[in-house]
Order: sequence, then C-alpha cells, then structure tokens
Amino acid sequence: METIKAVFAYTFKEHLRHKAWLSSALFGLVALAGALVVAALGQDERGRLMLDLGLAAIEAISLVSVVFLTVNLILQEVESRAIYLILTHPARRRDYLLGRFLGTLAASALGIAVMAAMHLPLTAAYGLWEPARYAAALLCIVGKTAVMGSLALLLSLALSSEAAAMAFAVFLWLLGHFSSEMRFLADRSGSAFLKTAIVAFSHAAPDFARFNFRDFWHAPAPPDGWLAWALVYAALYSAACLALSIELFEQKEF
Amino acid sequence: MKNESAIRFLGVSKIYRRSHLGRVTETAGLTGLDLEIRRGEVFGLLGLNGSGKTTSIKLLMGLHLPTKGDVEVLGRRAGDLEALARTGYAPESAYLNKILTGRENLRLFAALSRIPAAEREARVEGILKRVGLESAMDRRLSEYSKGMLQRASLAQALIHDPELVVLDEPVTGLDPLAIKEVRALILWLKEKGKTVLFSSHDISEVERVCDRIAILSGGRLVRTMAQDEWRGKPDALESAFAAAVARTDGVGPIRMG
Repeated sequence: METIKAVFAYTFKEHLRHKAWLSSALFGLVALAGALVVAALGQDERGRLMLDLGLAAIEAISLVSVVFLTVNLILQEVESRAIYLILTHPARRRDYLLGRFLGTLAASALGIAVMAAMHLPLTAAYGLWEPARYAAALLCIVGKTAVMGSLALLLSLALSSEAAAMAFAVFLWLLGHFSSEMRFLADRSGSAFLKTAIVAFSHAAPDFARFNFRDFWHAPAPPDGWLAWALVYAALYSAACLALSIELFEQKEF
Repeated sequence: MKNESAIRFLGVSKIYRRSHLGRVTETAGLTGLDLEIRRGEVFGLLGLNGSGKTTSIKLLMGLHLPTKGDVEVLGRRAGDLEALARTGYAPESAYLNKILTGRENLRLFAALSRIPAAEREARVEGILKRVGLESAMDRRLSEYSKGMLQRASLAQALIHDPELVVLDEPVTGLDPLAIKEVRALILWLKEKGKTVLFSSHDISEVERVCDRIAILSGGRLVRTMAQDEWRGKPDALESAFAAAVARTDGVGPIRMG
C-alpha cells in the first residue's frame, strides 16, 4: 500500500507539472468560442447547446489526454530508465503499475472537475441548471476515461510501441461506440466462425453505450440503477485490463 | 561473517533474443558465470564495453532474468523484495525523475524502501546533507548539474542504509574531484562493514579500492584476482587485464610506425 501511495503521489505531481493544465486551458478556449457562437442563437436553444457542446468537449479532451498519458506512462519511464531505480527498490511491480495508473486517473479526474467548474456557470448563465444530472454525466465521463486509460495502458505494454498502442486504442474506442451494431451484425452472419469472432470482439472492445448519458438527459428520469451499472462496468472493465497489464508487466525485463 | 557470501552467480548465462520481421537473433550477454562475492568486501567487475558487467548487475538487481543458472543476493533469489530491501543500487547515469525536486525524489525512494513514515523526512534530509545537496534539495533535478545528479543517485542508493551497495560505473564521466569523493565514499562504506560491488573499466580506480576483482571479457569470467596480487606491483593489474581481455567490439589495435 505504501508503494501505491508513493507512486500515486509522484505520478499525480508529475502530470500536474507537465501538461495536465493544458487540457483545461484548451477547454477554456473551446468554452469561450462556444459561448460566442451560442450567444448568436435563439433564447430556448442556448442552454441545451451550451450543455451539449461543453460536455462533448470535456469528454473528448479527457479521453484524448488520458490515452496519451497512459500510453506513455510506462514506456517513457523505460525510455528514460527511471524505472531501473524504482524496480531495484523493494517495490512490487503490480503496486508500481497501480500507483501509476491511479495517479494518472486522479489527474484526469481533476482535469474533468476543473473543466466542469468552467462549464457549469456558463450553462447556468444560459438558464440551464441541473446539477444532479450534470454530476451523473461527469461520472459517466470519468468511467469512460478509466476504461480508455486502462485499455491504453494494456495496449502500451502488449505492443511496446507508442504509435501502435495509440492507433489500437483509437480503433477500439471507435468500435466501443458500435457494440450493439456489431452484435446485430453477428446475428445476421451466416458463418459460425465469423459470428463467434464478431461476438468475441464486441465483448473485448469497451461498450460505451453504457455511458451514454445523453440518452437520458431529456427523459424524465433514467432507468433505475443505470448509473450504478455504468460505474460497475467501468470498474470491472478497468480491473480486467489492469490484471492483464500486471501479468505482462511482471514478465518484462529492463 | 566475512566468509558468508553476499552475491553468488551459479552457472549464469544470459541470452538476449531479438525478433525483427520474424527473424530472431540471439546475443550472449553472459555465459556460464560462476562467481562469489563475500560479505564486507569491495569487489570490482572489470571489463571492456560489452563484456557483461552491466548484464551481471542487472541480473543481480532483478531487472533481467537469467536464461540459465541462478543468482543469489544476500541468501535470496535475485530480485526478491527482501534482498532488494537490503541492497542499494546506483546505475551508470542518474536515472531520476527530473521534474521532481531532490527532496521529492528521495521521499519517493524512502517510501519504496519501507522506511517508516515518521522517520522519512529526517532520513531524506540527512542523506541529502551527507552527499552535499542540502542547499539544492528543494530545486528540481532538471536544474541540477551532472555531478549533482550523480550525488542524488548515490543518495537514493544509500537512503535505506543497505548492507550491499552496487555501483555501475560510478566514476565514468566524473571530474577528478568527484572521482576522489566517490573513492572516499566506497572506502567509508567498507569501513562500515558494507559489501560494495562496482563495475568499471578504470583500472587505476579499481586497484586503489578493491579487495578482489573479476575480469570479464565477451560475457565470460576470464580471471579473478585478490589485492595481494597487484598491491605494490606497478602495472600488475593493467598487464593482467590486457592479457585477459579480447576486444569484442570489432575494433583493432592502434598501430604505430
């Protein structure tokens, strides 16, 4: 536990000193530009558009930054050889990996919170104030961020190339938005092999439909337990990716 | 105590396998190494570049796994957490996180080395003072000079007061004053009863501080020598080294005349 805490603290600090603030600054620009565009629209459209634009920007910025950060998380330490000094102290490799991942996730969550703090007053200014739903949307974004972060970490350890890991992460991110379409395609497929392969692939890729808060935003209330299940799914998917990452990392030589 | 072994290489071979476009190439990093280093001695690993010095050190620190044979450190398998808790390691360059300050880096290594939280701050400040970095401890390592980084690297290796200290090329690239200080540090560690293993290709440095040495060439152990074989005999170690090693880097001798 001491190792996880120590590695978590230095990873978090490292991200804050490096580039985490850049994503919030980028969001600030997007929000400012969005506010200028929205101001030109009709009164009743403004709030909804500001909300959708802001949440989409928060999600896109946090997903891009978490993929970039986690793909480089271990590979950069290997390249700079800083990992030599960590692993020659009595630190279990799995604790090191968990500390690095959790520190990155915490930095991403902080980035999301900062962006939300910029966005929420803007939506309120345009007459839309629904903090409970807004918090649920943010939790969905954090869940998606955890899933993509753990997946990118696994890919970086499996492929040992930043470019290949990023390309695969983007590919799986795209697939993750078409899980139900893939299963539909599998049902229609005549070949048993193809059907099995597509079903397996659709389960291996993350199912981002589970985090689609936009489906419920304008409904009177989301189905019971929807958010809890989304978060459980994020935790389980991330845990599976981390378990595989640990297995790969334990075998590595430096 | 003196006769107990601190490190044992038992028939150790390391083969590096690299695969590129389906073609696998194998390179022997180390072949059949049998070597015992006793507790309390200063032991030097001597060899040219590519002789297997760093491979041996990486094997005993658990960064590499042997292809064949076993490596024991302080009575345990190399890489075992208990063995690592009693070993300090400084690599040839200071591979520290440059975005953190000296104090933050040392705090991290103190925590990883299982130093109780209540003692950490005093230990961090104490070791940074000992290596002469007290006035720079709150500066980021990106602002440190090469000599300061080397000192910070030594500090992380010594923060947990290890029984065994492993230094990979500790004097390479240092100025004469810094070399003198590293030499004094090694002798001070010996006085405190620590075992010190260091690798070098600087023969004069090795003959000044070592109790015994091993000469490696092309991944093989070619000779071991004790201090009485070179002490008081000018050029004895250099001659033994030149006779024992063969160049493996494809470079021929300089021809004069």
